[in-house]
Amino acid sequence: MTDNHEPKIVAFLCRWCAYAGADLAGVSRLEYPPNITPILVPCSGRIDPQFILLALKNGADGVFIGGCHTPNDCHYISGNYKALKRYALLKKYLEQLGINPKRIRLEWVSATEGAKFARVIKEFTEELKKLGPLHVR
Amino acid sequence: MTGIKIAIVCGASCGGCDVSLVNLNEKLLEIAEHAEIVFWHTATDFKLEDLEKVDSIDLGIYIGSIRTEEHLELAKKLREKAKYIVAFGSCACFGGLYGLGNLSEKRELIKTGYLETPSTENPEEKLPGDKITVDSIDITLPSLTEWNMPLNKVINVDFYVQGCPPLSQSIEGFYRLVKDYIEKGIVPERGVAVTGIKTLCDICKRKKPEKIVIKKFRRIHEGPVDPELCFLAQGIICLGPITVAACDGLCINANMPCRGCLGPPPDIIDRAGKFISTIASLVEIEDEKSLSDEELMNIVQKIVDPLGTFHRFTFASGIFDKKQEDVEE
Repeated sequence: MTDNHEPKIVAFLCRWCAYAGADLAGVSRLEYPPNITPILVPCSGRIDPQFILLALKNGADGVFIGGCHTPNDCHYISGNYKALKRYALLKKYLEQLGINPKRIRLEWVSATEGAKFARVIKEFTEELKKLGPLHVR
Repeated sequence: MTGIKIAIVCGASCGGCDVSLVNLNEKLLEIAEHAEIVFWHTATDFKLEDLEKVDSIDLGIYIGSIRTEEHLELAKKLREKAKYIVAFGSCACFGGLYGLGNLSEKRELIKTGYLETPSTENPEEKLPGDKITVDSIDITLPSLTEWNMPLNKVINVDFYVQGCPPLSQSIEGFYRLVKDYIEKGIVPERGVAVTGIKTLCDICKRKKPEKIVIKKFRRIHEGPVDPELCFLAQGIICLGPITVAACDGLCINANMPCRGCLGPPPDIIDRAGKFISTIASLVEIEDEKSLSDEELMNIVQKIVDPLGTFHRFTFASGIFDKKQEDVEE
């Protein structure tokens, strides 16, 4: 769509892996787009799909979910799996709603993967730029 | 206190709620002794002028959702005149089944309903809003509003009586509300659902295993259903966890899973969102590590029509209450 559209991304990051990964990206001075608004959550399993719907409704063009790697990284044993399953179903729900399911993205980012964090945010931002702004009616 | 005035207004409704009101039986007579019904156009021949003529109404009961300009006018007029407004039935409270109409544009609905269905005979292609002459009298059907809306998106609502139609506890709660008002002039706090906030799972007597694990989703017609065991434990989607229990479990006692007609307890913002969280968590719980991420996602995505199932009665009051236009270019 428009070339100069800067997407707004709400990023829910788990306290143990993805947020630490984002921190590492920061202290390593890795460059990634400033489009994300990080929100610290205790675990990716804490992210209620209602949060994501509310974010999309209230102006976010995309929502990023960052959690610990499956199978064994989750600090709370299986929170990341909860996030994964909810994410899968929410994608289907968004499709029925007429919202492109690519507007939500789930990635496992460990505390050592600052580079991965920077990369996926870059990719996601590019993708959302292509999709254009989300017009809610 | 004697002689309160009651008006019963009907919007987009199937008429079931009116029947449910009549089902108050003798209680309706008790109410009628102390109240005057000034408007009830489903029951007797009232016209809009009759509503306009009344100076003030004590209790306005609105049944059905808002789907036409006429409903909009009626609802606003009712709010103008009535001291207290009750949204009666799930359509008035949440938009009801009609809310799913918001998945289509208005023009698509009209096209299907008035032109395309095989049983429709409409050679002049007259649509709602067009003038028709029948026996030299001009009639105009009210035109549709852009979207289907629950009552509280149009006017302030004081009380909610949920149910499709309201039964047992809902209707008793409603009866107590009216009776207390007539006899003592007291009303509960505004916005209170007269049904309470317990969920169906709280009162359900089916056997529940220690851990409910869903290995595979199953629909009700696919094979036998154990009448004693929790539906979710059998892989059948039941909306019990997110539905207010004011029905005495009519459906689950008849071995049918809950469809959620009574609506969610008050702390839920978006019912589908909340239920996605509930149902997805139960899939292969504590056994996830034996499967790959893709396999897990596949099991969850086997659910047919999550929107229509989770939001069957509440789509018009969800966070996203209508079809969005977000197509890939």
